[in-house]
Amino acid sequence: MNLRLHIWRQTGPSDHGMLRAYNVNNVSEHMSFLEMLDVLNEELIEKGEEPVAFDHDCREGICGTCGMVINGRPHGPLSRTTACQLHMRSFKDGDEIYIEPWRATAFPIVRDLVVDRSAFDRVIQRGGFVSVNTGNAQDGNAIPISKIDADVSMDAAACIGCGACVAACPNSSASLFVAAKIGHLVALPQGKAEAATRAMSMVLSMDAEGFGSCTNHYECEAACPKGISADFIAQMNREFMKSVF
Amino acid sequence: MQPLLAIWNSTIFQKWVMAVTGIVLVGFLAGHLSGNLLIFLGPDHMNAYGVELRELLHGSVIWVTRIGLLLAFVLHVRAGIVLAARNRKSTGVSNSKVTNKTSTIASRTMVYSGLLILFYVIYHLAHFTWGLAHTEYYSYVDSLGRHDVYRMVVESFRNPVIVATYSLAMIVTGLHLNHAISSAFQTLGINNRRINGLIRSAGPIVGIALVLGFLSVPLSVVFGLVK
Ligand code: HEM
Ligand code: FES
Repeated sequence: MNLRLHIWRQTGPSDHGMLRAYNVNNVSEHMSFLEMLDVLNEELIEKGEEPVAFDHDCREGICGTCGMVINGRPHGPLSRTTACQLHMRSFKDGDEIYIEPWRATAFPIVRDLVVDRSAFDRVIQRGGFVSVNTGNAQDGNAIPISKIDADVSMDAAACIGCGACVAACPNSSASLFVAAKIGHLVALPQGKAEAATRAMSMVLSMDAEGFGSCTNHYECEAACPKGISADFIAQMNREFMKSVF
Repeated sequence: MQPLLAIWNSTIFQKWVMAVTGIVLVGFLAGHLSGNLLIFLGPDHMNAYGVELRELLHGSVIWVTRIGLLLAFVLHVRAGIVLAARNRKSTGVSNSKVTNKTSTIASRTMVYSGLLILFYVIYHLAHFTWGLAHTEYYSYVDSLGRHDVYRMVVESFRNPVIVATYSLAMIVTGLHLNHAISSAFQTLGINNRRINGLIRSAGPIVGIALVLGFLSVPLSVVFGLVK
């Protein structure tokens, strides 16, 4: 199939950036979206032009590195699918496709479609962990955990930290990300000890990074490639208030 | 422990402030509406209610309520404006294509519907409480020498401009409540898989019911059901 792409090009953080149009021809429907961009980049390199910079790593939907807004949707039109797992069979010959970076003040653009998501790392450093003694790993079943708690924790732990929630949110709020991290740890006995300090410091750090506040639109939940539920945000609201009192 | 000011200014604390005060205001609307509906029982009930409201426990009840409501209103508006301004700063440049899946016109315009409500409330108080706007309707006295609330309302709603403004304000309030009530539950963390569906559908229904209740008064005057 032949496509017309409109891609956000920006040479660096201080550049203004703009959409540029490109044609890519003979795209196979079996290609992934990123492979289609690889094809475009090969052509650009051959012509001596700058290739389009975009983030990617595992290309199997588990690392959270890829991320771009495709026709107004973070990770593209399919639900619960990362950009790397989106295939060209979701498009048809002659389609125009708009490809833009995550937009948020807290995610400054590095170049083209690449944004700096280190704000997420800093939020994690403020509490997205449990403190344990290092040394030998302890016995696997030393701490009994109910199936229900384990499942809830896993549902939250499915977050790959890609930032699609921020990109989808009309307020660029990181609530779903932070709530998933809090929800993942607080469901488990190991995470309960630091529950209060974690909720408090992660929330204050998400504010300090300049993310917006949640206004309960639930766009994040709809865009999340891992289907993390906004119920975790309600839980974060509870955990935060518990940590205040 | 974090400094109290940092906690107070955090987004989630301010959302809690907005939700708690918002629920207080919704409660007030329900109370206000039940008073308004007395109009259907006739002038005597309405005017007696007006006197009672002002004189209950030597007027202490109404003053405590007024101060509480004013506080709730101020905190709600402040939080709403501060958070909306913050969110505007957080979003930066918007994409050329934006598609929304789950947000609604109501949810995306909360601060605007809120500000319209704010302006309307001031005008509404000037009209029916302070007697500063439309003074011609304010000075009626009934045969028992009471402030004739009933006649003030009926005469006011014979004025098409007042009916139009009032109806518009109610529609805007309906828009605000359409998102607000369910949203407050999420903010307060009252949420689980069994009740989410109920909360998200009941919120708008309660909001619309309140608004229809308020609209029933001017409509009844316009259609001659209340004279
Ligand atoms: C009759 C008066 C009002 C009532 C009953 C009311 C009720 C509510 C409720 C229940 C909420 C939900 C809180 C939450 O999401 O946690 C809310 C949110 C909000 N209200 Fe009001 N409100 C009123 C007036 C106002 C006014 C005057 C403003 C002026 C700025 C305002 C601005 C907002 C904003 C910005 C939100 C947040 C929306 C969001 O986060 O999604 N409201 N309101
Ligand atoms: S590249 Fe790893 S999730 Fe897409």
